[in-house]
Amino acid sequence: MTRTLLVVFSIAVGVFSIGVISGAHVIIENDMSASYAANRPANLELRTEDFDRDFLAMLQNASGIVDVEGRRVFNIRARRTDSSLWTNLDIVAVDDFENNTINLLTLVAGSVSPGKREVVMEREVLEEFKIAVGEEVVFELPDGSTKTLKVVGIAQDPTTGADDFLAPPFAYISMDTLATLRQPDSFNRVYATVETGQNDENHIRVMAADLKERVEKSGVAVYRSRTAMSNEHPLASTVNAILGILLALGILIVFLSSSLIANTLAALLNQHLRHIGVMKLVGGCNSQVFAMYLVLILSFGILALLIAVPAGGLGAYELANFIAQKLSFGLLGRRIVPLAFFIQIAVGILVPLLAGFVPVINGSRIKVLSAISGEAADEMVSRPEVGAKRESAFERFQHQVTASLARRGIHFPRPLLISLRNTFRRKSRLMLTLFTLTMGGAIFIAVFNVRTTLFDYMDNVGRYFVADVTLDFDQPYRLTEIEAVARQVPGVVDVEGWAFATAEVLYPDGTVAENLTVLAPPVESQMVNAEPVSGRWLQVGDSKSIAITEGILRSFPDLKPGDSLNVKVGGREQTWEVVGFFKFIDREGLIAYGTYEYFSRETNLANRSVSFRVVTDRHDKPYQAEMSELLDKHFRDAGYKLRQAQPGLSALSNATESLDILVIFLLIMAVLTAIVGAMGLTGTMGMNVLERTREIGIMRAIGAVDREVMRMVMVEGMVIGGISWVLGLFLSIPFTYLLSLIVSLAVFETPIDVVFTPVGYLIWLGLVIVLSAVASVLPARNAARLTIREVLSYE
Amino acid sequence: MSAIPMIELRQVVKTFKNAAGEFTVLKGIDLTLHQGEFVAIVGKSGSGKSTLLNMMTGIDHPSSGQVVVNDTDLYARMNESQRSLWRGKNMGIVFQFFQLLPMLTLLENVMLPMDYVGMYDFDERPERALNLLKLVGLENQANKLPAAVSTGQQQAAAIARALATDPPLLVADEPTGNLDSRSADIIINLFQALADQGKTIVMVTHDPSLTSRTSRTIIISDGELVDEAVAQALPLLHHRQMLAITKTAGRKHIEAGQMIISRDSQVDAFYILCAGTVDVVLTGKKREDTIVSRLEPGQFFGEVELLRGDKSIASVRAASDGPVELLVIARNAFLDLLKQSPLTEETIAKIVQRRLAENKSADRRE
Repeated sequence: MTRTLLVVFSIAVGVFSIGVISGAHVIIENDMSASYAANRPANLELRTEDFDRDFLAMLQNASGIVDVEGRRVFNIRARRTDSSLWTNLDIVAVDDFENNTINLLTLVAGSVSPGKREVVMEREVLEEFKIAVGEEVVFELPDGSTKTLKVVGIAQDPTTGADDFLAPPFAYISMDTLATLRQPDSFNRVYATVETGQNDENHIRVMAADLKERVEKSGVAVYRSRTAMSNEHPLASTVNAILGILLALGILIVFLSSSLIANTLAALLNQHLRHIGVMKLVGGCNSQVFAMYLVLILSFGILALLIAVPAGGLGAYELANFIAQKLSFGLLGRRIVPLAFFIQIAVGILVPLLAGFVPVINGSRIKVLSAISGEAADEMVSRPEVGAKRESAFERFQHQVTASLARRGIHFPRPLLISLRNTFRRKSRLMLTLFTLTMGGAIFIAVFNVRTTLFDYMDNVGRYFVADVTLDFDQPYRLTEIEAVARQVPGVVDVEGWAFATAEVLYPDGTVAENLTVLAPPVESQMVNAEPVSGRWLQVGDSKSIAITEGILRSFPDLKPGDSLNVKVGGREQTWEVVGFFKFIDREGLIAYGTYEYFSRETNLANRSVSFRVVTDRHDKPYQAEMSELLDKHFRDAGYKLRQAQPGLSALSNATESLDILVIFLLIMAVLTAIVGAMGLTGTMGMNVLERTREIGIMRAIGAVDREVMRMVMVEGMVIGGISWVLGLFLSIPFTYLLSLIVSLAVFETPIDVVFTPVGYLIWLGLVIVLSAVASVLPARNAARLTIREVLSYE
Repeated sequence: MSAIPMIELRQVVKTFKNAAGEFTVLKGIDLTLHQGEFVAIVGKSGSGKSTLLNMMTGIDHPSSGQVVVNDTDLYARMNESQRSLWRGKNMGIVFQFFQLLPMLTLLENVMLPMDYVGMYDFDERPERALNLLKLVGLENQANKLPAAVSTGQQQAAAIARALATDPPLLVADEPTGNLDSRSADIIINLFQALADQGKTIVMVTHDPSLTSRTSRTIIISDGELVDEAVAQALPLLHHRQMLAITKTAGRKHIEAGQMIISRDSQVDAFYILCAGTVDVVLTGKKREDTIVSRLEPGQFFGEVELLRGDKSIASVRAASDGPVELLVIARNAFLDLLKQSPLTEETIAKIVQRRLAENKSADRRE
């Protein structure tokens, strides 16, 4: 009965995993883009300087454009009324919620049409702070004062910011509310959909260039433009890459479960050998026995399917739902995914047949004599021939090692020897168990390495955020003035003013390839700890020179240090020299570094800046937060028009949280594989104990107490766990590289340097010991409970 | 051999239950085995001999009754685990199928019980195990796996393992059942030697030929013990017949020196001596008594008269050194028994002839 359950369960695990993953894959692939398309995403988005309704009306006449909407998007800090913890939000002000046709909101609760002094929150805000419809949220105005808006709805926005899952969450207000938040009643974004070719990337890019030119010609500067297709979610390729990893893991789990099935079936057949012998004795032929066991295996498969197909379907939807919530898109509802259903049926029927084929063939071919005597199943039955069996090479090796250690005075207690040698008695079973457990372990360890790799990469990104506090002002101030005021706050060590520029990198044909943000610290700045991957960093004397992120290579694969890029800055085309490349996370366009000395002159802000970086005497996150509060108050009290003071690492925290979600995902899969591994071990230990009941009886007969019997089984389990750990150490290396590559390509669109951490190895060591102990505790208890009569009586 | 009890079974009953109902395998066994005895427990297949052995070893629980081994009540306040430890220290078990652990060498197998019960220093164990293997002639095979030696050698190693913790008691379940006669002979010799050294050996066997080598034979039939005196007196009966006699025969207690049969009196029963000794006496012309022979437990008298229909040819009386226990089988029952067992009839007829001859020559001397 136990073995039957084990076989059914082994099959069910594989069927369930593949059902969940393939089902989720199909659901997400369909629904992600369908839900995205259903909310009528803008094909192009322009970030511009402020413009009014008349200007918008002019754009609405542009040829090839169907819908155009203006919106105002700005960043603001918000908090619950009963909390002092601020959260950064992007507020989107929409002119007409009732009649808008682009980037539609999906209602989650309340209403998606806020009135004056009302706000609708994107669902993601709830992850930052709990808020319900009817409650109020406090917003911080540029002058430091606060305003309270009533939350009238929770919405899901699958389109705005869909390409950036590292972006801050959104909130929505009507244009009437802008005044309340001291914002001008004007737009700074253009969203438009094209008339034809909504899924033609080139066409959309051309249309974007046209529209942009039109805007610029009308005297409105365009800071950035973005294009997207209607029917493909911008993150589809990323999500597909991650689903690809999951699918690979799912297939692996099927493999692992098939090894479990093979193991259990082999043991089951061993147990049935006598019955097979009897069947043959009374006239059963090989093919009849074979057919009988095939029917048995099929019944196991069907039983497993009955459990795993509904569970897998449910799991698939839940997994898809989890991903959908994380990426803010809706699902089209619960349904049976035919592909997943058929895959499950195929796995549930074929895998057990394949896994059971060899054991069944062997079992059905057994000779009556050996079946009846149980010789094949039982190593302990006497062998009448003198010296019938020679020691195997491995046994000889084991004994030589023991003997050689004994000669050196190292003696193993025999109970320990039993555990050690038992480990290697059923070699094929051991191999299958090790395979399962090692795979689980290697993936587990690799996930930790990938996590560290990702965070190490984020730390590297932090090199470009060395400042402890960033001060952004609404107007430029002299560098010396701000430095002097900042230094009045105790703890401030250094202050730098940085220049900024936004530009568009152009293809030779003049269309926009990439949006570029140029950060321009003083050339000898101590606040950028740059490590270019090729070329060099900026140096004194550089003027139209930039160091740029590797992301540029997507559009210009042949670009090398020393080459030039055509860019458009403030409507003027220029040529900049690329001096080097560095690694960075590209968010909403590429990042480049230039020199303050050059770019401040270009932006007519020589010796002045709107953005300052402050270094304090300590660099931990709480201190940075505290210092940013102090500086915020200090500058506002002194009458400066400070927009915000941000702690240095906070910019990274959002990104880090998003990576955490990804890592948690991988970890869940790793734990799943580890559980399958542990199940394999439990099955193996259970079978070992069943097969060795007589030996256990003998041990009891010659003085072994419960503890000894349990210890024997558990040590064996832990030895297997230990071996799998060692093997996992090696296997985790290629896994780490592979997984890092897939994830980094999906998330950062660039391969990143792999970093190894002992954490995964140590946690897995602890876990594998615990899992092994737990996996063998039940078989061990059963072993200890066997009475000697039970195990010896059947002779 | 001493009179110190090593194993005492008191009213041991063992009942198995299964779907078909209850089946009593042991029906109130009373048995005492003494230190230094080499005991064979004999019985047909299904007679309950292995169950009886399992009661003695603590391998199985009696349904009722008490088992005391080496002064320990096995089933009072001891759980299975504690019994294992106790067994490891007090009892060596030898199985029919040797039951050496296949992953350990012979030497390691012998060391294992010492490891389990923590006897002897850790460093001393290999040497002791090797000495035990020497004792059974296996010192050259010490580092081989059980599967690599002959079955006889495996059983010898199993005996060495049973002796590992120097237990006072050795229990063997069909130890020669799977061996050729030469190997079986070696094993039995080994047991005899151990018994001579004071170990108590209890051996279950279905091979009656082995009983000649043991100091005592217990016959079990249908879950009940045959009176040992019956088995000794009438060894050619079937076990069931022996058991029937054990159950139907009358029992008589005779004080020391008391007359049981007087010469020339009518004899209407067959007597088997269970305990004590009796003297067969002829009274001379001068009225003086001559002891013709002295009978020990397991011997019998009365058969001459019953078979010949004559009066008693000699007097039989309890010896003067102690009382006597007798089993008394009525004439008809005895004659029926002989009819059922021609071999016994033949043997007894020969004994009658011999005794008559002895009697005649003694009479002549008078």
